[in-house]
Amino acid sequence: MKRTWWIVTLAMLLGVPLVAQGKPLTVTGIRDVTFGAVLPGVPRVVLRTDPANSGQFDIKGPKGNVLLSFVFPLSMTGPAGALMPLSFGAGDAGFSQTQAIGSQVGFDPKQPFTATLSNSGRGSVFLGATANPATNQRAGAYTATIILNVTVLP
Amino acid sequence: MMRSIVLAGLLVLAGAQLPAQGVMVAPHAVFIDHNQRSGSVLLYNPGTEPVDVTISMIFGYPITDSIGRIQLDTLTADSTNSALGWIGPRERQTVRLLARPPVGLADGEYWLRLRIAAQAGSVPITGVSDTTAIQVGLKLEVRTIIGVNYRKGAVMTGVALSNLRAQIVGDSVITRARIARRGNAAFIGVIRETLVDSTGAVRAQRIGDSLITSYQSPIGVYFTMEPRLASAIPAPGLPRGRYWLRYEVVAEREDLDPKVVLKAPAVRDSVQLVIP
Repeated sequence: MKRTWWIVTLAMLLGVPLVAQGKPLTVTGIRDVTFGAVLPGVPRVVLRTDPANSGQFDIKGPKGNVLLSFVFPLSMTGPAGALMPLSFGAGDAGFSQTQAIGSQVGFDPKQPFTATLSNSGRGSVFLGATANPATNQRAGAYTATIILNVTVLP
Repeated sequence: MMRSIVLAGLLVLAGAQLPAQGVMVAPHAVFIDHNQRSGSVLLYNPGTEPVDVTISMIFGYPITDSIGRIQLDTLTADSTNSALGWIGPRERQTVRLLARPPVGLADGEYWLRLRIAAQAGSVPITGVSDTTAIQVGLKLEVRTIIGVNYRKGAVMTGVALSNLRAQIVGDSVITRARIARRGNAAFIGVIRETLVDSTGAVRAQRIGDSLITSYQSPIGVYFTMEPRLASAIPAPGLPRGRYWLRYEVVAEREDLDPKVVLKAPAVRDSVQLVIP
């Protein structure tokens, strides 16, 4: 790809007005995936239908399609670099036009998913996961970052 | 001829307010005219907590895979001309875009995707407070990816439609068709599907709990694609008989300013469906 002939410039002082070419899009992280107390050697499963512990992202935008894709960590990082495996199953993600956790369409979070927002331009993504602590898992706090890509099509 | 473009953004502070959490991006698609060579994207944090925002650019466009699923094809590695900043509470920021294209740039449309990554400043780790216990927390990061289309000179678009096929699977009508773009700009429009019976009467389709006379799906055709669409048939389903699925691709979009939707002739085809 020939790109070198492009000159990149920052337009700090140009008074270019915002043009209403499209509608606003807001993606909001509502709720983290919550595992609560985790015991060594005991996998902790959080279902996407769990109203208290599943992750939730709300989307508000133009009526139409958005492409959803996740980027997952393989593990969570804890004290002194200790790792705890994290896994996501083929049914661990769900989408709801009505933003109701009880009316989801499940999908594989490891595959891109085209979601159709409601007539009012709304939808919610729910996410479950499984934490897999080892029997000798070091005590302490573990964390990782889940990335949700929301691509407006086209 | 089409190429990616590289634009750079700068954050300019202004004031605003709203209670909530998340980052609003507006508009959801940017179209830049060569005569103006600039555009803007508004970022707004309606919450009371800071959100770390990173802006980067990638090149990509939607394609379909072997089974008709739409994906974003990023042909090249990320071009991270990123602007990094914190969006403070009750603040908004405007990303101004300016293109400096080369002399002699051919007429046509050039593409870019703007990726806005937002992450809350700190997510509390959940679990028990006992220091001998294992506590687990997952941070959420959202990346909103919007299109930027740069147009120079005479731009035209259109599509050619071929190989339309349809089948009924369960309570759904599944269609695929080959849609090839014409002209020198992306075709932005909708696919509209209408189901009619042997008498010519339109049969309703369903979206959620609503009955519709035509199923519509927005589409952007950048080169050639074969999207798979699935529309639902209301219960109790269709009676035995022959039906026609009318399929048309039209340059209309409700979610975009009509000024930025390039005009193009509609293309149509139809395919027969038989329910034995």
